[in-house]
Amino acid sequence: MNAIAFNGVTKKYGEVVAVDGLTLDIPVGSTVALLGPNGAGKSTSINMLLGLLRPTSGDIKVFGNGPDEAVTRGDIGAMLQEGSLIPELTVRESVDFIRRLYPDPLPLDEVLRMAELTDLAGRRADKLSGGQTQRVRFALAIAGGPKLLLLDEPTAAMDVESRRSFWDNMRAYAAQGRTILFATHYLEEADQNSDRVVVVARGKVVADGTAAEIKAGVAGHTVSFRLGLQSAAGLDALPGVSAVEIQTDRVTVRTGDPDATVDALYRKTTLDVRDLQIHGADLEDAFLALTKES
Amino acid sequence: MAHYLRIELLRMVRNKRYIIFVIAFPVIFYLLYSNLWGDQVDETTGVKGAVVLMVSMAAYGALAASIMSSAVPWAQERHSGWLRQLQITPLPGWAIICTKLIASMVLVLPSLLLVGLAAVLTQDVSLPAGEWAGLIGSLWVGTIPFIALGLTIGSLLPPDTAQPVAMIGMFGLALLGGLWFPVEVMPSAMKSIAQVLPSYDYASIGWKIVAGDTPEASAVFGIVGWAVVLGVLAVFAYRRATVRA
Ligand SMILES: Nc1ncnc2c1ncn2[C@@H]1O[C@H](COP(=O)(O)OP(=O)(O)OP(=O)(O)O)[C@@H](O)[C@H]1O
Ligand SMILES: [Mg+2]
Repeated sequence: MNAIAFNGVTKKYGEVVAVDGLTLDIPVGSTVALLGPNGAGKSTSINMLLGLLRPTSGDIKVFGNGPDEAVTRGDIGAMLQEGSLIPELTVRESVDFIRRLYPDPLPLDEVLRMAELTDLAGRRADKLSGGQTQRVRFALAIAGGPKLLLLDEPTAAMDVESRRSFWDNMRAYAAQGRTILFATHYLEEADQNSDRVVVVARGKVVADGTAAEIKAGVAGHTVSFRLGLQSAAGLDALPGVSAVEIQTDRVTVRTGDPDATVDALYRKTTLDVRDLQIHGADLEDAFLALTKES
Repeated sequence: MAHYLRIELLRMVRNKRYIIFVIAFPVIFYLLYSNLWGDQVDETTGVKGAVVLMVSMAAYGALAASIMSSAVPWAQERHSGWLRQLQITPLPGWAIICTKLIASMVLVLPSLLLVGLAAVLTQDVSLPAGEWAGLIGSLWVGTIPFIALGLTIGSLLPPDTAQPVAMIGMFGLALLGGLWFPVEVMPSAMKSIAQVLPSYDYASIGWKIVAGDTPEASAVFGIVGWAVVLGVLAVFAYRRATVRA
């Protein structure tokens, strides 16, 4: 059974095609990252799932129903990209209010605990920091105990420590058999917190798979070492290598399969390899590579 | 929905602007004015100034409360994304606007009752029970067109524009409707404006009641007419504001 099914969905804002023929199935129980640069159509897709926007054409199903029905049944909870709270209400009051709108909500204390808000429960929303506000918005998203959780760039405004605990909390929620779709710009976030990454650019899916598959597919790894006076000839023939660059005495090779490249570097060459460094694919590499293709 | 209503009331009671403009102002002005002119007696009706002023200030308070509790909070909610937060819950869309209406109706009560109380306590105003009931009842139900106006403003304008527009609307209606100065002392141009405004119809129903008269049919039709027009406008604006494009 699919939690989410996009079938040939297109959304246009006048001339701008925000989502372009998107077809995507997300099975129940999976955690999927929607990875894409600014303007890729992530928020538009999420807002269509929530019935806040209507597709120009195509069809969207959430647990087999239209988005409006899924919302009415309390099947979806979401943290939208933007949104603030009612300043005069305390954290507990806001969370409890939203909670009670759902047919089968989580207990209030459990929601507060899962969002690490127990100590802030009595604080008014206008007295919260940006990161704390994000936590409350997460609490609002899970308060109703929805089967599907949609998170649109949820860690914006959070520091490194908050991000880490946020993703821990998200995984705890996901572990109970729920389906999660989150939008992000960061490959690292997608990599660490999802079991599938869907890369979108200009409204289209440009890659779909595990984070490792995607990184491999874009040859985004680099292996570099000190070459000294040795010759770089033959490095471009090593497995996985797509490019070789030399800067003063260091050589950097770009590879889709760093394990194989390094293995071959030691076993199949006679080079004296010093000061070896391996870097994973980063966002820019992934996007530059993926969006260039399309 | 009862819980939603409770939440709406709670947040307004914690809002300083609401407390100052809506609850403190009418009572303070009543105390001030009634000390100055409370003993004057209207020659045509024989009603004491303290009573007329009570109606005027209660009407002003209720008018202010209806517009202030609807327009700006609603504009802010739309703008800040709180409306979207509600739209993605199982709460039906009609429940939002109905709760807003009911909440505003509850929020006009403090100003109505406190001005009445101030009149009784400081000016020894006394009215037959039937007149009290008629007065408070009509001033209460009569706020519906103003709440509808507030919700229309909140649906159509962003918060930074809704704020001054609501203020101007509120003071304009109060001033031109004769709540601050009697319509009789106005220049004739203003007087003819006053007579088509819902705020004038609204207060004049109250003035008639305390004079022991039946309110004029034209005033009752006037306010009902405005309620229908502004109500339709409010629903229309609300649908526009919440449409899913
Ligand atoms: N209301 C709108 N009117 C016109 N164009 C819009 C509107 N909303 C979005 N767009 C356009 O649609 C495209 C997709 O926008 P969307 O917000 O879905 O991107 P996104 O992937 O969420 O980007 P970001 O990472 O910046 O949040 C962009 O080109 C954007 O400019
Ligand atoms: Mg976005």
